[in-house]
Amino acid sequence: MSRSVLITGLGFVTSIGNDAATVSANLREGRHGMAVHPLCDNPNIAVKVVAPVRDFAVDSPSWRDWTWPERYELPRETLRSLAPHGVYAFCAFEQALADAGLIRADLGDGATGLFCASAGSALMLHHNLAQAHANQFERGNPMGVVSSIAGTLNFNLAAHYGITGAVAGFVSACASSSHAVGYAVDEIRLGRQERMIIVGAEELNADTLLPFAPMRALSVNPDPASASRPFDSARDGFVGTGGSVVLILEEASLARRRGAAAYAEIVGWGQASDGHSVATSHPDGAGLRNAMQRALRDAGVSPAQIDYVNAHATSTPIGDRAEAVALRSVFTEAGARPVVSSTKGLTGHGLSMAGAMEAAFCALALREGWMPGNPHLVHADNSCDGLNLPRETLSVAPSLVLNNSSGFGGSNVCHVLRRA
Amino acid sequence: MAQDHILTVPAKAKTSPLAKFPAEVRDAHARFLLTRDADALDTVVLAIVRDHQPPAVRAHTPAVPADSARLMEDLGFDSLALAEIVFFIEDLYQVSVSNDDLMTIPTVGALRAFVRNKIALAPLPSHAS
Repeated sequence: MSRSVLITGLGFVTSIGNDAATVSANLREGRHGMAVHPLCDNPNIAVKVVAPVRDFAVDSPSWRDWTWPERYELPRETLRSLAPHGVYAFCAFEQALADAGLIRADLGDGATGLFCASAGSALMLHHNLAQAHANQFERGNPMGVVSSIAGTLNFNLAAHYGITGAVAGFVSACASSSHAVGYAVDEIRLGRQERMIIVGAEELNADTLLPFAPMRALSVNPDPASASRPFDSARDGFVGTGGSVVLILEEASLARRRGAAAYAEIVGWGQASDGHSVATSHPDGAGLRNAMQRALRDAGVSPAQIDYVNAHATSTPIGDRAEAVALRSVFTEAGARPVVSSTKGLTGHGLSMAGAMEAAFCALALREGWMPGNPHLVHADNSCDGLNLPRETLSVAPSLVLNNSSGFGGSNVCHVLRRA
Repeated sequence: MAQDHILTVPAKAKTSPLAKFPAEVRDAHARFLLTRDADALDTVVLAIVRDHQPPAVRAHTPAVPADSARLMEDLGFDSLALAEIVFFIEDLYQVSVSNDDLMTIPTVGALRAFVRNKIALAPLPSHAS
């Protein structure tokens, strides 16, 4: 491919910080964002620990009740049709634009596109439908649909920022924003767009998170310091988080002309499905193994060239084991031993947002020269034999990294990023 | 009609829609609920109109717009914002406004008259708050 894709802007609203500097410091120092924070007033709920976003209050279904940091000017005309996670996304978007040295007026020439990923807002959907049922569908909020269904991010952000290029949303559960990144890379490589903006976002509330409890997917460990411990033999489920992460991708010559500094280059991606189960990973991680191999092939690199893998591992017994098996198949069997960590041990699992968030973490690590560790790992699961799972962050600059994501139905997406 | 399929409104949902409005507007709303004073209702309606107005246009609009002010052409509303105003009033006073009704209220004066006829002259449901 003659056209290459650079990451030139990042924005963060996460459980470990609401700006790049704080996120980077917390990743390097291994500080987590978990807290004991019950999501509903029912002491019988076993899930006690989540990873909340600080400095925002978006628990209510009414935008009139919401608060966010004052430095963001969020106009009422935009606010009225947002979901709660749209507020996170708007603030992360503003950060990313400023970081890339762009303004709103730069986005409307048709050469900029927008790919988004969220599950929509279960809270808003529930509220709006409950209202509609209560009055037998005689009346309802005119913004009820666009503020709640999957796609709410792209509807709102494209309109607010006047984006006239390719605009779409991606729905593959926890691989959603990784799909958005991958297809955005293709939009630029194929010459269809010069710039793509990727938005991943999710809410953290009872409506979004607690339906995962009946699947036994959530950690019931009440200790914030150990509830999320990917690859550990005592892991018992994931810890939920919300927020938003935004990446700005630009074709390299455009970025050079603008004098934009690049975090990293995305040099390839790949995807494959398990074709196995609606909700659990293939026991051998077959789809993820194929996705990793396709991403490496697309990037033109060998397993031995990868310095760091940001694993999808969410801290669930089945998913982490499957990923460990897949990693051993791709790397250990090829004689390669990259550093492997799951930053979900610090952030919690951001569902649709996870892939974009972790691609952004990889970009920070490539630009700043470090590799995050696994600070909550005490006894690695025996499925991890042969994997290099350091506890501490390594102050070693990676050249090439792999970012893994997996979602329901066995969707697996991997990106390869290179130091710019 | 069987109601057992109905979803439960989340407990956090029911703060007053007027909670963030100025005290005099909340007072006028309370006064209307007690006394059915149509002037108090007017105060609430005009505050709702102003609250929903795009800020850029609001800056150049009198605090109390003339009855002849057109909601879309003069006050800057788009059709969705107009629908939002109507839903706000529907939700506040537990009434329903049809699309045909909506087409009859192009101006501030028409809206005031419509709300007076629809709400002030109608029996007040006990659960309006």
